[in-house]
Amino acid sequence: MSTRNTLLEVKDLHLQFGGVKAVDGLTMSVHENEIVSVIGPNGAGKTSAFNCISGFYRPTGGCITFMGKSIMRARPSRITQMGMARTFQNLRLFADMSIVDNVKTAAHATMSQSWYDAFLHTPRFRRTERACEADALAWLDFVGFSGDPEAFVGQLPYGGQRKVEIARALATSPKVLLLDEPAAGLNHTETQHLMALIRQIRDLGVSIVLIEHDMGLVMDISERIIVLNYGREIADGTPEETRNNPQVIEAYLGSDEEDAQ
Amino acid sequence: MPLVLKKSSSELLVPPNRHQMPPPAPFRWRSEKGALNVLGIAVFILALAVPFITASPYVISILTAGLIYVMLALGLNVVVGYAGLLDLGYVAFFAVGAYTSGILTTTFGFSMLEAVPVTIVVCIVAGIIIGGPTLRLRSDYLAIVTLGFGEIIRLTARNLEITGGATGISGIPSWSFFGWDMADGLVIAGIEFNGKILLYYFVALVVGLVGVGGISRLSRGKMGRAWKAVRDDEDAAEAMGINTYFTKITAYIIGAVWAGLAGQLMGTYLSAISPTSFTFLYSALILMAVVLGGMGSTPGVIIGALFVSLAPEFLREFAEWRYVLFGVLLVVTMIFRPQGIWPANAVFPWSPALAARRARRAKATEAPEGSAAGGPA
Repeated sequence: MSTRNTLLEVKDLHLQFGGVKAVDGLTMSVHENEIVSVIGPNGAGKTSAFNCISGFYRPTGGCITFMGKSIMRARPSRITQMGMARTFQNLRLFADMSIVDNVKTAAHATMSQSWYDAFLHTPRFRRTERACEADALAWLDFVGFSGDPEAFVGQLPYGGQRKVEIARALATSPKVLLLDEPAAGLNHTETQHLMALIRQIRDLGVSIVLIEHDMGLVMDISERIIVLNYGREIADGTPEETRNNPQVIEAYLGSDEEDAQ
Repeated sequence: MPLVLKKSSSELLVPPNRHQMPPPAPFRWRSEKGALNVLGIAVFILALAVPFITASPYVISILTAGLIYVMLALGLNVVVGYAGLLDLGYVAFFAVGAYTSGILTTTFGFSMLEAVPVTIVVCIVAGIIIGGPTLRLRSDYLAIVTLGFGEIIRLTARNLEITGGATGISGIPSWSFFGWDMADGLVIAGIEFNGKILLYYFVALVVGLVGVGGISRLSRGKMGRAWKAVRDDEDAAEAMGINTYFTKITAYIIGAVWAGLAGQLMGTYLSAISPTSFTFLYSALILMAVVLGGMGSTPGVIIGALFVSLAPEFLREFAEWRYVLFGVLLVVTMIFRPQGIWPANAVFPWSPALAARRARRAKATEAPEGSAAGGPA
């Protein structure tokens, strides 16, 4: 593990909303090409930490480094352009755009097309649009989407929308992919497909950070598990180590002392 | 920090199963887009032919006013329909364009043509000044602040000396090209074109065509997708690497430039402007044209603008009742077609064949996904 390069490093991260400490001294790191899960009881600060890392919340303290550069004050769009993509806990697709356009939107920062190319329909416009469309369709194919890419996202069932969201995140060309509860609302078969898909994405050379409540999924695919409670990490290790860690068991089930009281 | 990070193509993540690029789609007039283009050209030719059918100054002048409304509605459609920014003070940019060209031509001796680039630059600057602080706000707050800015521009024009105060500017010259002035009129093949009325109609028509073509092209490119993404979900757009603030400013600037050019055209057409031409009522009417026609839909917005500008004329015979009827018509339209007369997601909204095809498609999309049989291979 130590031979791998570190892509993302979070040190002593703090996030406070008024008197509530959502993230309280979180330290974690993500290496190249690995699958890391972040778990913890409800309200442990998992999504808040994600939002800090991807730039949507401004942390109140600490430091976040991505590929050697500080991203503490960067806009979310800038962080995505640097190579960190994310999905959202509640699906957030562009509802009034077609499925393929949703994925094409993600190529925004990587395609070299200017507004006058579109205005004048230059050869570069046609070339970039076709390349962008080919990529979008290939990503949809990659995530296992089979259906009409010209349909609107609202016409898709929940599982299909999840796939489109992952395809869209991949189309931004990430090095690290943050998945916020990707299995929520999926049935058993769909979850199995999701697991295979996450491994395939890792095999492309993308690191995956996963927030998930489905323990079967987490234990099965994670190489490393980080457990959060009260906004700080309480454990960091392989699935086996995590399963037997008394602090983790205490966080999820409560301690004997608490029961005695 | 650079605004856009360019990645070299070797660093990009490439989908493993990326196939050959699809060949460019051949032009088919039977396809939805092809048919729409054919329809557009037919409407344009028809509009070109109108002065040859009836040369009544009344008809031509209300049509010219209608075309200026179309230009304004097209510009506002970028701001409201594509980028989803509710702008209640859009007429401010119309005023900026009209006053800039008016002052340049009457006070500084510019010709109308020379004033065009200056008008564009001034409108870009106005767009940045007004948009810069306001576009950090969201929805309701943005609407209120733009409303305020619209009034500020009007009141400034009313109180400055250079803008002529409450009386405004008069004696704005017409267009002249290479020594020929539009007011002189034109004789082609024995048909006499009266300058003041007819030629402005043609100018407005050509400028309108550029607007329709240009804006719908922009909306289909990278920038247009970014606008729509920002409209649908600002946070998700940021997560896609789109700088939403910059994207909103571009939409605002394009809207501003377009309104400014419409303002210049109106100034020279009427040869006089005054602050009363730029009240909130006009912002509201243009917004109504966009919402009524269908937000984000170019054909819809054109229909909406023509409706808003021409309906009061057609209802003239009802005398004092005409604005009541106009209001009732609007309410009825919105009840029966809340998404607009020609919604953005429909190419031909009334075609039953297309509706059936769309329904089949939706079904075909749902079936394999719902059964969860498909999945990553």
